[in-house]
Amino acid sequence: MTEQILQIMAWLVPAGPLLTFFLIMLFTKHNRTLSWMLAWAAIISSLVMGWLLAFNVFGQGYHYLEEQPIVVASAIDWLPFGDYAQGLWVRMGMAVDPLTAVMLIMVPFATTMIFIYSVGYHNYGQPRGTHVGEPNHGNEDPLIARFFALMSLFGGAMLLMVLADNLLLLFIGWEIMGFCSYSLIGFWYAREYPDPKEMPIPRIPPRKAAVKAFMTTRVADVLMLLGIVFFYRAFGTLSFSEAFSFEALQTATTVVGFGGLGIMTLLIFAGTVGKSAQWPLHVWLPDAMEGPTPVSAIIHAAAMVSAGVYLIVRIFPLIAVTIEGNPTVGVVIAIIGAFTAIMSATIAVAQNDVKGVLAYSTISQLGFMVAAIGIGAYVAAAFHLITHAFFKALLFLASGSVIHGMEHGALHVHDHHTDPQDMRHMGGLRQKMPRTFWTFLIGGMALSGLPFITAGFWSKDEIFADAWYQWVHDGKGLALLVFIMLAAAALLTAFYTMRQISLTFLGKPRSALAAHAHESNNYMTLPLIGLAVFAVAAGWFGIPDNFLGVEWGKINLFHHYVGATIYAVMADLYAAKLVAHKIFTLPFSWIPLLTSLTVALGGLFLGWWVYGRNPLQQGQPDPLKAPLGPVHTFLERKWYWDELYQKVFIGPTVYLSEKIVYEFVDRGLIDGLLHLIARVFYTIGYYMRRFEEVVISDGVDWIKDQFFVMAREFRQLQTGKIQEYTLVSMLFAVALAALVLLINYGWFARLLSSF
Amino acid sequence: MDFLQDNLLNLVIFFPLLAALIVFLLPEDEKELIRRMALGLSLAPLGLVLIMWFTYDRYDAGIQFAVFAEWFPAIGSNYHMGIDGISLSMFLLTTLLTPLAILASFTIQEKVRMYMSLFLVMEMAMLGLFASLDLMIFFIFWEFGLVPMYFLIKIWGGKDRDYASFKFFVYTMAGSLGLLLSIQVMGIATGTFDIPTLMQTWVNLPAGGTLEGTGLPVDLVKTVAFWAYMIAFAIKVPIWPFHTWLPDAHTEAPTAGSMILAGVLLKLGAYGFIRLVIPLFPQQAHLTAGILATLGMLSIILGGYAAFGQWDFKRLVAYSSINHMGFVVLGIAVMAYVYGLPGSSTALTNDAIMATNGAVFQMFNHGLSAAAMFFLVGVIYDRAHTRDLKRFGGIWTIMPVFGTILIFTSMASLGLPGLNGFVSEFMVVRGTWGIFTVQLALSMLGLLMTGAYILKAIGETLHGPVKAEWRGLPDMTLREHLVIWPLMALMLSLGIWPQWVLVFINDTVTKLFG
Amino acid sequence: MIPLSWYLLVAAALFCIGLYGLFVRRNAVAILMSVELLLNAVNINLIAFWRYNAPDRSVGLAWAVFVLTVAAAEAAVGLALIISVYRNRDSVVAEELDLLKN
Repeated sequence: MTEQILQIMAWLVPAGPLLTFFLIMLFTKHNRTLSWMLAWAAIISSLVMGWLLAFNVFGQGYHYLEEQPIVVASAIDWLPFGDYAQGLWVRMGMAVDPLTAVMLIMVPFATTMIFIYSVGYHNYGQPRGTHVGEPNHGNEDPLIARFFALMSLFGGAMLLMVLADNLLLLFIGWEIMGFCSYSLIGFWYAREYPDPKEMPIPRIPPRKAAVKAFMTTRVADVLMLLGIVFFYRAFGTLSFSEAFSFEALQTATTVVGFGGLGIMTLLIFAGTVGKSAQWPLHVWLPDAMEGPTPVSAIIHAAAMVSAGVYLIVRIFPLIAVTIEGNPTVGVVIAIIGAFTAIMSATIAVAQNDVKGVLAYSTISQLGFMVAAIGIGAYVAAAFHLITHAFFKALLFLASGSVIHGMEHGALHVHDHHTDPQDMRHMGGLRQKMPRTFWTFLIGGMALSGLPFITAGFWSKDEIFADAWYQWVHDGKGLALLVFIMLAAAALLTAFYTMRQISLTFLGKPRSALAAHAHESNNYMTLPLIGLAVFAVAAGWFGIPDNFLGVEWGKINLFHHYVGATIYAVMADLYAAKLVAHKIFTLPFSWIPLLTSLTVALGGLFLGWWVYGRNPLQQGQPDPLKAPLGPVHTFLERKWYWDELYQKVFIGPTVYLSEKIVYEFVDRGLIDGLLHLIARVFYTIGYYMRRFEEVVISDGVDWIKDQFFVMAREFRQLQTGKIQEYTLVSMLFAVALAALVLLINYGWFARLLSSF
Repeated sequence: MDFLQDNLLNLVIFFPLLAALIVFLLPEDEKELIRRMALGLSLAPLGLVLIMWFTYDRYDAGIQFAVFAEWFPAIGSNYHMGIDGISLSMFLLTTLLTPLAILASFTIQEKVRMYMSLFLVMEMAMLGLFASLDLMIFFIFWEFGLVPMYFLIKIWGGKDRDYASFKFFVYTMAGSLGLLLSIQVMGIATGTFDIPTLMQTWVNLPAGGTLEGTGLPVDLVKTVAFWAYMIAFAIKVPIWPFHTWLPDAHTEAPTAGSMILAGVLLKLGAYGFIRLVIPLFPQQAHLTAGILATLGMLSIILGGYAAFGQWDFKRLVAYSSINHMGFVVLGIAVMAYVYGLPGSSTALTNDAIMATNGAVFQMFNHGLSAAAMFFLVGVIYDRAHTRDLKRFGGIWTIMPVFGTILIFTSMASLGLPGLNGFVSEFMVVRGTWGIFTVQLALSMLGLLMTGAYILKAIGETLHGPVKAEWRGLPDMTLREHLVIWPLMALMLSLGIWPQWVLVFINDTVTKLFG
Repeated sequence: MIPLSWYLLVAAALFCIGLYGLFVRRNAVAILMSVELLLNAVNINLIAFWRYNAPDRSVGLAWAVFVLTVAAAEAAVGLALIISVYRNRDSVVAEELDLLKN
């Protein structure tokens, strides 16, 4: 494959699904078959091209990759910035290194499985449903074309993010995925629920869940935006390869300082806290289960939520340098991860919704990955990311199959009130839905970390090994704390997984719905098998080189290849004492292995002991409810975080917006001031008008009237009689003559001077 | 052809006036003819601007297509007009939005002739302002743009149109008073109103001296003049707390009136900052940049919160304009800080170039998305005769095409990457980080609320079960599609490939700081 | 020669008689006759001054002839007016002819 073909493929991988979104929305929306076929075509072509690219990368061999991790790269000048000749224009493009390659193997595959599954999930081929914007149990969803359009957009955005060679393009893919998440959680936008207090499992309507998801992650995203901008200004570039070179990082430690780097890292990490549903921004993920199950599988298990982890894996060099120079940052990240892991594991134990358990399980497992990064376990985090995606997607799809079976049973017995997702109504589905059972079991075992034959075991074990090593070898208390917390979480994980399997599949059906369930169609069950294969086998690529103390050679392909992505830069940083460790193979230790085995097997056993040994009967309460009492309620109500947030953040914001900012400030203060000014001017105008009316108008009128009075007086002289006129004129003549004489002959002057 | 080339700028500016006259001479009852004639004639300036666009010399990036004619040599005011990258983008925006607004106005039934004529006259005023290189001419066009808008709101507006039109007119005019006085002072002090000349002579007036003919100290005069300019333009942008005229004016104006008001008229204020305030008062602008940034921050935050608190769809979109223009103000604040900086610093200059690019681009982008949003509000209002979000619900099921288009447009308004709003917001954020970090960080609260109010608008309108009173509402007509699709295509293309507009802006801005 | 003043006195006397008649007489024709007296008194004045101060120059003589002419014309017109008024109003008493009042 020539360089150029590889570059074109790198662009086509995300472009295909993105374009499909537009094609479906603009042209094929009314043809359902064509729509999903287009979606399939796009994602399968991305799968093929993605795998070709990945194998091309791996084919270079890890020694080559350690020197030259980026195998395929292609970028364009995107954003104008200053003089072109100065080279500041923002360049964006695709880059394929081993980390991207392994993501290119997982993401398109999982997405393809889900696309296949979705055709069956939305009952394609059945009579067309009439409820637009609501679930159409048993009938084909009328908006199925829109579904595939949005899923294609999502797939394209995820692939864009994975292939992005710079932080901005990553953010673009990140945000578009957020929009897809919002749209797909709210896919059944018209669905309404009765009062939550009357529901056995309280739910919020999908449209509200969608807003909750978007807004919670938006809190994280605006902080991440600040982090990205800080990053850009500090490094002068957004490109990963340029920013994460040894020289750039070394310069940053002096120019920006560890305080600044700490802020930068935490701001960007905030994005992960939101997107990967870590405490305290975890509240959106359980409600995101309101979306159709394929959505839960791909967006909220395999891809989008793992994007948060992908981000911190991608910027690991920055994180490693920061946590070495500013240990507080490491503590923050690790503790958030570990706390989230254990907190959500406790909540999962008390959930009754089959998807709810899986949601909290996802949050918990993401906590594992975040904690791993917090203590600097790069490869372990990436490994768990990949394996988790496979088995979690599997579990979700299988749960969707279960729900479909239950809904079929509901249609059969005409019961539309019992919640088909409530595990308390399930039971005995092992016989009714064998394929679903076995694949669910495989996924569950992988999640619990069943030793050796499931992928989850290998990836979890590596995290434990890394934490233990740092405690023993470096004396890092944080690593020990993480170790203990994650071990406890792993125990709970195995426990609640066994609980879930027992409640769902074992024993006898506890309701008519379960009694009349049947296996799902092939569209749905075949992808389960596909994913199950990976849930088992994916872990075998990460078996440690020195497992059980024996040197097996370089069998830990995952470590060597994915580690090669940052091998060189970490080695340089390590040599300059800017990071604690470079990428190296951990020496084998029995403690973490034994711990993994104990918690996994112990948790499964306990779960079986409580729930599986004597499966629950109909109407029988949860055996943990009585002994735990209020603790159980606390867990079942999810530690009351939602109620707290409503009281502290959401309620006040609404009040602030409506009553204070708008009514009080804008209309009351500002407009009030303006109206006051207006009133002053009106008053001035009023008085000026009065002045004009009284003083000027009336004044002029008065003068006019005086003239009339004067005229009236004078008119009396006009008697009309000639003789009187003559008399007056004569008198005047005499007076005038006298005056002339007086003046001319100086008598006037003499008269005046005598005074 | 030569005539076209030589007089391109004059043609672009005054053709709408000619069009208004032609339309005005048509008989009032020929409504269809009037509408079509107005639409057809309004496309001509767009064509001419496109010619300008493709003949603009990017290497020069300075004032081009200049026109100079003596007008009042006695006071030093001449008809001096010209275009650079920034004004060219505004030209494109104006000539693009006017035909779309006219097309959106086809539902107006009373006094169609006067309506269309007023629109075209307003277009002339806006174009003339963007091209002005003389303060008197600028002011004339500035005031000219107010009157048609006043009538548009007053005659064809909503329930509270008397209050809204009056408030809009008087508030803006109150600001203009100071502006006129300051312009006069500048003219008297330097003997000219020519902007490029003033950028040398006025700016370089000896700081400690007194102004000839008045005996007042130069510093005092400049400060007062600066604040007068600032207040006038702050009212127009609008910047918090001078913003309260906008929700009333936007809400009561007819749909197309709101489109142009939000789309172009607000940009006149921002343009005034970039073209006049900062280049003519660099030191004062530098000193008050912090205040400007803080006010921009308040616009973003409080505009966002207020928008979230709305239950009137149109008023929500109106407040969203304040929220978005706040980013423009942040960018302008950075420009003000760096432009008047006594020394020079590459890092700060780069910040300023990025921020100014972002601000101007945000002006362009917001013009598109705000116009689109107001249009869509008009679409639903034409059918439902209400804008009350509490009454809406389930519209997506009844009007699926409208719903999808509304979501697309809302996402552009929200700043979803892939669409145009994000690019300009990112640029402003990048440019502001190093200089006004605190204001920027707090502004993120406003950006958070942007998501909240957009989702509120979409959710209340489109989601939820279908409400009986809205059954049977017809989906979008061909005419309505013709209005919105160009805007959507631009929003998407600028989100994916912002270069084709941004290069013009970038070239001019780089030269400005170079 | 007899002194000028005697002539002037005679003229003054005539003038006063005429003036008195103007004011006192009721009949409009009598008023006109009094006006004639006034005018002739002025004439005597004119001729006296002429004869005594500048007899060689014809100014005074011409002036007197003028006055005489005007008097005659005026008498004619005045009488015509009185006849017209008498025909309309049936009265020649000056006091009753006040149509131009106010």
